[in-house]
Amino acid sequence: MILEKGRRVEVSRQDDILKRMPEDICITLEQGYIDVEIVVSALDRLSQKIASGAYDHRIAELVSSRADTYKNQAVRMMCRENIEFKVRTELGEDFFAPARTRPPLGESTIQVQPMPLGVLLHIAAGNMDGLPAFSLIEGLLSGNINILKLPQADNGLSIEIIAGLVEIEPRLGDYIYVFDTPSSDIATIKTLSLMADGIVIWGGEAAVSAVRQMAPVGVKLIEWGHKLSFAYISGYEDQDRELQSLADHIIKTDQILCSSCQTIFLDTEDMGEVHRFCERFLPILEESCQKNQSESLGIRADKTLRQHFENINRFLTGNDNSDGAFYQGAGCSLSAQTDSAPELSNMFGHVRVKRLPSKNIVSALRPYKTVLQTAGLICLPEKRESLSLALLRSGVVRVTRGGSMSELFSGEAHDGEYPLRRYVRITNIE
Amino acid sequence: MGYRAKLFLKGSPFETSETDALFLSAMKENCNYQYLHCIEYKKILDGLGITPEAIRSFNQLSDFPVVPTLLFKHHNIFSMSKKRMLIRATSSGTRGKKSEIGFEFSGLLFGASMVYKIAAWRHLLSLRPCNYVIFGYKPHRGNTAAVTKTAYGSTFFAPAIRRKFAILYQDGKYGADIENIVEQIIELSRSMFPVRFMGFPAYTYFALKIMDEKGIHLKLKKGSKIMLGGGWKNHYSEKVDKETFYRLAERVLGIQDIDIIEFFGAVEHPILYCDCRYHHFHIPRYGRALIRDVDTLEPLSYGQVGLLNLLTPMVYATPILSVMTDDLAVLREGETCPCGNKSAYIEIVGRVGLHDIKTCAAGAENLIKEALK
Repeated sequence: MILEKGRRVEVSRQDDILKRMPEDICITLEQGYIDVEIVVSALDRLSQKIASGAYDHRIAELVSSRADTYKNQAVRMMCRENIEFKVRTELGEDFFAPARTRPPLGESTIQVQPMPLGVLLHIAAGNMDGLPAFSLIEGLLSGNINILKLPQADNGLSIEIIAGLVEIEPRLGDYIYVFDTPSSDIATIKTLSLMADGIVIWGGEAAVSAVRQMAPVGVKLIEWGHKLSFAYISGYEDQDRELQSLADHIIKTDQILCSSCQTIFLDTEDMGEVHRFCERFLPILEESCQKNQSESLGIRADKTLRQHFENINRFLTGNDNSDGAFYQGAGCSLSAQTDSAPELSNMFGHVRVKRLPSKNIVSALRPYKTVLQTAGLICLPEKRESLSLALLRSGVVRVTRGGSMSELFSGEAHDGEYPLRRYVRITNIE
Repeated sequence: MGYRAKLFLKGSPFETSETDALFLSAMKENCNYQYLHCIEYKKILDGLGITPEAIRSFNQLSDFPVVPTLLFKHHNIFSMSKKRMLIRATSSGTRGKKSEIGFEFSGLLFGASMVYKIAAWRHLLSLRPCNYVIFGYKPHRGNTAAVTKTAYGSTFFAPAIRRKFAILYQDGKYGADIENIVEQIIELSRSMFPVRFMGFPAYTYFALKIMDEKGIHLKLKKGSKIMLGGGWKNHYSEKVDKETFYRLAERVLGIQDIDIIEFFGAVEHPILYCDCRYHHFHIPRYGRALIRDVDTLEPLSYGQVGLLNLLTPMVYATPILSVMTDDLAVLREGETCPCGNKSAYIEIVGRVGLHDIKTCAAGAENLIKEALK
C-alpha cells in the first residue's frame, strides 16, 4: 500500500509514482513549506477523534492487552497543548521567524532564516507500534515534506494514523508519501533517498550501515540507533513498591524497547548480595508475569520458545561467569553475573543482574557510551543527584525512576537530542 | 539390523501405533550415538540431567531434549566428520539466519525408502512419462535450500520428459516469470502426456488465477497432478482458502482435488508428511509429533493447541531427533478422518509471534508481485 497525496494506491503503481515524485515535490517546494500551525491543529483534531473512540476497534485488534494505555498515550501526545509544548521546547519561540544578526565591532550583518531541511526520508523500525507515524509527525512539525518507508513488521497502525491525519487536513497530502516497500528493494529506497535532504533511520547497526552505504553523498543522515538501558539500585525509598514497579516495567515492555531494562546493576562488590537480590526479585517478577500474561497463544508461545532457546543455548555457549547462577522462574528468569558490562538480556522476562559499585560507574560504563540510553535509578533520595550525574557522565542520556524507564515525558529529548532540531537547517540572506 | 533400519525399511508407512516400541528403541539408539559423538548434544543432555537409559517407556518420548530449530541457526552442530556427510542442506531462512543440517548416507537411504513408500501409498509413482512444471526455484550451484532439492526430487516420481521452472536464476538473482510459465503450460497441455505441478502453494495459486482471469481453461491429460510443498507455514493465515484453490485447479486445469497432493517437511525434520485423500497430514511410522503447552511446554492431548514438537531417529549426522518448530498445531485422532488411516494427524493452526513471520513462500509472493509490475 502506498499513500500519495492522501490517496491509498496499490503497490503495482509504485513505478509511476516514483517517476512523477521529483516533479511533484518541486511543485510543493515552490509553493512553500507547510505552516506548522496547520499540522498542530490537524494533530489536535486527530487526538480528539481517537479520544472519541473512532479508532478503538483498530487499536484493540493491534494491541489487545494494552489498548487503553496506547489510546491514552496517543490522545495525550497529539493534543494541541502537548504538541505546542513540544515545538516550543525543542525549537524555542517563533523559531522560523527571520532575524538579523547584530554582531559586535561593526562586523557586517546578515539575516538568519531557520528553515526545514526540505524533504525527509524516514526509514522506520518495527519494534514499537505507531513509531513510524510518530517519526513522520516530527518531520511535519519541523515543516518538512516526508517520505516514510514502513517497516516490514508494521501492523497497519501507522498508515491508519497518517491516513486519518490527511483526511482531517487534506492540505497535508502534498507533504506525505508512505511506502511499504520491503527493505530488500534497494533500488526503490535508493530512488527515494535521491529525493531527500535528510534520511531519518531507525533501527539496528545493520539497518543503519546499509543506509549509510546507499545514501547519496552529502545527504544529512539522522540516525536513531538501537540503544541499551539498565536499572541501577543503590538502596531504596520503598523497596517493595520500587521493585514491583521495576518488575512491571520489565514485563510490560517485553524488554524490546531501547528504554527497556536489560541489566540490573547493584551498588556492591559482593556477589553474595547479587544472589540474595535474585532470590528476592524472582518471585516479584514471576507475579508480574502472571498478572500481565497475554491472551494470545501466539505471543505466549513465542516467549516460551525464546526462553526455551536461551535455556538450551546456555549449555552450548557456556557460562564464563564461574560465580554466576541462573534463576528460572515461571515465564521469566534472572542470571546473576560477575562482570559489570551493560548487556542485552534475552528479553521477554529475562534480566541480567550484575554488581557495579558506584565508584566504578563511569569507568565501567564508558566503553558502552555510544549505546547507552536510560538508567532507571532506584536509590536513597540523598544519593539521587550524585548518582544521576555519575550515570550521565558515563554516557547515559536519560535517568528515570526504576518503574518509569519507558514512560514518555513531555518535552524530553530523544537519545540526547531534540529531534525537531535535527530536521531543520539555518539559512542566511544578506 | 538396527532399530532405525527396521523402522524405515520394513512395514507399511502408517503402522504408527504398532511401531511405538520400535520407534522408542530407534530414538534411544540415536540418542546414544549423539551422546558419544556430538559435543553440543552431550552438553545439552548433561545440562538437563538426562541420560538415554533413563527413557524406558514410550510415554517418556517427551523426555528427549527438545531442540528449538533456532539453535541450528546459531550453531553448526554436526555429529560426524564432514566427509561422511553426503549433503548439507539449509533451511529457507528469509530473515537472514539459516540452519545447516547434515545428512549421512544411511540416513538419506532410509529417507529415500520412506519417500518411495509414501509416494507409492499416495499413488504418485508412475512409469508413464510426464511433463513437470515447477513453481519453485530452478536448482543452481549456490542454492542449498532444501525446498529446491525436494521440488527437484519430486520430479523423479514419474519419468520426466521436460521440466519447466517458474523461478529462474538470472543475472545473479532469482526472479519469477509467471507470464512465460503460463505459455509453457498451454503448450504442455497439447502434449499427449500428463503434467505434474510442484511448488509453493502461493505461486501455483497465482499462476492459476492469472490463467483464470485470462480465460485460459485447459483439460490436462488424466494422471496430471498438483503437488504442493514448501509453504505449509503460510497456510494457517488462509490467504488462499483451500476449497477455493481446489475449485480453481479444476476450472483452469481440469485437475480434481484427489489429484492435489500436499507435502510438508522441514530441513530440521526431514520426514515426508503427505496429505491423505481428505488432505490431512497423518503421522507416518518414521516420525512422531507432540503438541506442547505454550506456557509450560508440557505435552498436551488430542484437540489442544500448542507448539509442534517433531521427532524422528532418521538422521545421525546432526542431532535433530526431537525438534521444536515455531508452529502452533493440534493433534487429531486418526479415526476422525474418513480416509481409513488410523494414525493421528496434525493440523497446523498458526505460528508463534504477533506478526506474520515471513516464510520462504511469502518471500516468493513478493517475487511474483515484482514480476507482475
